[in-house]
Amino acid sequence: MSKIMTVDVLSSIKGAQPSEAVNKLFDVIKNAQPTNNNSFNNNRNNYVSLNDLRDDVVIESSAIEKQIIIENFPKEKGGYLVVSKVIEE
Amino acid sequence: MMMDSQIKHIHQQLVDKKISCTALIQQKLNALKENTNNTVNSLLDDLALHLAAKVDAKITNGDTIGLLEGIPFGIKDVYMLQGTYATASSNLLKNYKSPYTATAIQKLLNAGAIPIVKENCDSFGHGSSSENTIFGAVKNASNPDLVGGGSSGGSAVNVAKDYTIFSIGGDTGGSVRQPAGYNHVYGLKPTYGRISRYGLMAYASSTDCVGPIAKSVEDIRIVLNVMSGKDVKDQTSITSSEISEEAIKTLSEFKTLKGLGKIGYFKNFIENDAIDSKIKADFLTAIEKIKAKGIQVKALDFFKSDILVSTYYTLAMAETASNLSRLDGSNYGNRIEDKNLKESYAITRSENFSEETKRRIVGGNQVLSQGFSDEIYLKGLALRDAISENFENDFKEVDIILSPVTPNTPPKIGDSLKDPHAMYLSDAYTVGFSLGQLPTLTIPQGTDTGLQITAAKNNDELVLKFANFLKDTI
Repeated sequence: MSKIMTVDVLSSIKGAQPSEAVNKLFDVIKNAQPTNNNSFNNNRNNYVSLNDLRDDVVIESSAIEKQIIIENFPKEKGGYLVVSKVIEE
Repeated sequence: MMMDSQIKHIHQQLVDKKISCTALIQQKLNALKENTNNTVNSLLDDLALHLAAKVDAKITNGDTIGLLEGIPFGIKDVYMLQGTYATASSNLLKNYKSPYTATAIQKLLNAGAIPIVKENCDSFGHGSSSENTIFGAVKNASNPDLVGGGSSGGSAVNVAKDYTIFSIGGDTGGSVRQPAGYNHVYGLKPTYGRISRYGLMAYASSTDCVGPIAKSVEDIRIVLNVMSGKDVKDQTSITSSEISEEAIKTLSEFKTLKGLGKIGYFKNFIENDAIDSKIKADFLTAIEKIKAKGIQVKALDFFKSDILVSTYYTLAMAETASNLSRLDGSNYGNRIEDKNLKESYAITRSENFSEETKRRIVGGNQVLSQGFSDEIYLKGLALRDAISENFENDFKEVDIILSPVTPNTPPKIGDSLKDPHAMYLSDAYTVGFSLGQLPTLTIPQGTDTGLQITAAKNNDELVLKFANFLKDTI
């Protein structure tokens, strides 16, 4: 099942190609020499500890919130919200 | 340019009945409506006037009002405010209405401040000039031929032009500090997590910060205090204590206070070919003035600018590719139908994202994909750690790091769109502090685009204190 996915597919953007402006940035990283390569051993960047995770709670949305969510939905037909046609590949 | 608290001044005028809140709000709305700097995505007329009438009723009744009650402010158009448009200056969300309100904005509403405008910015925060927007390029407050800076360009210009008393921008790699510098106002990126990100559209979650823009240190302090605090809805938010007016008033005794005496700056920010010669000379003059006060100044070594910029953009693009993958037109947004779901996603995203946003999403997917992640993304993470470690060591030796905000003065409108790589490099002095998650304030002093004051993590108070000190020093 291994299939090479190109960036246009990964990005869901038709005809997308890597850009020169961005590749120039990445070249700098490729050539850089970090002092260490064990970034996961450090904890400098505020990773949230498992002990600090909040409890799972269900919060009921307000009536106005629900109404706006429906208003934002792109398509409605006969009282139903319509999604795009799904096909199996 | 140096001003005292406008919030306090207007508060007193309201209390003394020298102006009604309704008249104040109407005056600001009119100014925004007529403005030619393209700062407005939508005006919040009805909501603002409704809230103003309530404040007036309280004053007429003889009730006391809080300091922020009735004070008009602006919101970068990437924040949720229930029932108002939240477009991110994008085609995709041009008709999207916020179903709920961001925590930071809700706290300001609770304090009685009145939102009057959703402000123009680079789409999804993707830019350093506020030209990447469907609402027209934001024009600089001092010279309309130049960019307003970005991504919170509309917010900085509104404050500079007095259309808002303060504005709430968002800073991921400099998006509050750089436009503040370009328009000669104050702009703070607080310590990461000090203000909840809940309800701020995610660009790069590990550096996204809510940041106030205003015309005085005191107004920054007031607004920062109101918005700060741990929030159950943002698990990266942190507990912080209120910063009192007294605590940041030390001024000239700064140098005599224990542990507050040393300033550092990065040698390589100043000694290179990319910096404008006047910005360089002015920065060095500011350093001399500080030294003349008897304060020790140390030149520090730091990572090269191109490493900082590349590390930041690698991580920011990876995060934005992931964060923006939800924008496919399924549940909201400007959906374009095609023959099946996958095609609908692709056409919706292709047609509705700007060139710059697409460039960043594609860049992010490049570095996250198999075969590239080790070479680029993971190396970027390692570099970020090394940068943070460097900061930790620096703050053992100095208390404040002073930097220019930008290497150059604002570009002409149109130039950044022609050369995105040059635009990325213009973020050289701001992105490092984002990666370090450090509190950094732009002040409108020192160079043509201001100065940045940075302290160690969670030391936002010292940043404001040093800004007050510099007000009388340079």
